Amino acid sequence: MSDSKVAAPESGAQEGATPKENLVMEHLVSLTYRERLTPNLNRFVDKLLDGQIVGHKCPSCGRVYVPSKGYCPLCVVATSEADEVEVVDTGTVTGFTIITPVAYYGQKATDPFVYASVLLDGADTPLNGQDIVGIPHEQLRMGLRVKAVWKPKEERSAEGISNRGWGGIGSVVSAFEATGEPDASEEVYKEHIF
Amino acid sequence: MPGSDIAIIGYAQSPSVRDADQSEVQLLVPTVSAAIEMAGIDRREIGFTCAGSCDYLTGGPFAFVSNLEAAGAWPPISESHVEADGAWAMYEAWMRLLEGDIDIALAFGSGKSSPSNPAEVWAQQLDPYYLAPLGVDPASLAAIQARALLDAGKASERDFAEVVSRSRRNAKGNPNAQLRGDVDAESLLAEPYFRAPLRKHDLPPISDAAVAVVMARGDRARQLCSRPAWIRGMDHRIEPHQPGMRDITSSASTTLAARKAGFDGGPLDVVELCSTFSPQEVILREALGLDAGTDINPSGGPLAANPIMAVGLIRIVEAASRIVEGTARTALAHATSGPLLQQNLVCLLEGE
Repeated sequence: MSDSKVAAPESGAQEGATPKENLVMEHLVSLTYRERLTPNLNRFVDKLLDGQIVGHKCPSCGRVYVPSKGYCPLCVVATSEADEVEVVDTGTVTGFTIITPVAYYGQKATDPFVYASVLLDGADTPLNGQDIVGIPHEQLRMGLRVKAVWKPKEERSAEGISNRGWGGIGSVVSAFEATGEPDASEEVYKEHIF
Repeated sequence: MPGSDIAIIGYAQSPSVRDADQSEVQLLVPTVSAAIEMAGIDRREIGFTCAGSCDYLTGGPFAFVSNLEAAGAWPPISESHVEADGAWAMYEAWMRLLEGDIDIALAFGSGKSSPSNPAEVWAQQLDPYYLAPLGVDPASLAAIQARALLDAGKASERDFAEVVSRSRRNAKGNPNAQLRGDVDAESLLAEPYFRAPLRKHDLPPISDAAVAVVMARGDRARQLCSRPAWIRGMDHRIEPHQPGMRDITSSASTTLAARKAGFDGGPLDVVELCSTFSPQEVILREALGLDAGTDINPSGGPLAANPIMAVGLIRIVEAASRIVEGTARTALAHATSGPLLQQNLVCLLEGE
């Protein structure tokens, strides 16, 4: 849908002296998309709402994708529910950023917040954009051991999950909490940073 | 031996459907793999890959990046992307092969129109000052073109209906088509107008699908394929973006592209045209100088399945497949882009 407005010419404008505002034209566009989650993501969401985390294990290389894309991008092999595996809700921080929000349009956060990648035990793909709680920001580090903080069942939704690969599981798992275990060694995560 | 020493030796397409369950890349994974398997090569032998798609269709910024995963992009490969139909991706890959230092190239095109409202999306490809703000959708533009054809005395509404009737009939033999069946022109003409003088059936369906081709050069093509579809020439030409600045009842760019691709009016066994709206077949037929006896779109064409960003490359695959299967020796395939046949690509194919 378009909503365009062209600034009306000012009366009495002199020839050869076009006012700048006459050169501005608003063209506001909004496009609407409706889609169903792919079968693999739909299954992931159903299980997630139940408190389980599932992915697909590539029948060729054995890598575990959480959530599944429905194929292994390295082997170029399609995967299906027959390749489904469950992983646990504990894992390792493989990377993180502490973001100090500036008040740009749409930014609701006011305090510094964490965007961390968490590699769940048994998975080969980290979950990105996760909040880490139970530890001061200055103590965040790669290798930190964490566990999922699940929202109460009645508050869970599939809201943030889309076929397009952005958004995350935040509508079900609100954050990951530091467990206090000894850090994982670099060997665990060096091939799975992002 | 035809003009170019490059041939299509492998191809595949996914069936066109109204609303696919899978993601665009999930449609591509088995399609690209099947084309590579048909070519009888290992994907690591591919020297260049080019993909065509449009992120506006699924509404996912950088969707084209994950599409590349269908080609196996690790370890890194030499690749490119065009925000255009796969036919233009194939053009770029063909150009790359002409350099002479690689033997095999892969091109693919994919599109899921189902998540979007095409009438909203495609209004945005028009110029941002005069037409896009009006929200002119492709069907309305096509109706203006149809009206101009009728006013010029170049076609009748019956001609449009005959195109649709033949498309649907031909599509009966195409397992990848979406709309097929026996409908006579008489009953089509009895339907109400959708955008006068067009009726709903004069418009293409909304489709999701993917298509891929593998090309090889010279002796490598002959080794891999018993009947390669040699690309005698490929060319594309562009007319003014603003439909009001050109004669929309003709297609000068198609005529020129065909000539530059090497088409001299000689006999053609197969013609696949990207006539997305039924009146456009009348225009393209005239632009190419095809006589009344030429059988057009044996696959059913875009009126039977219109996966935008794949539909043009599908025309080339449909034409090539008949040469590879041995039922045709010469073929012409056409792809289009932009409003009302603004850009046109012609690919001339020949068997040995």
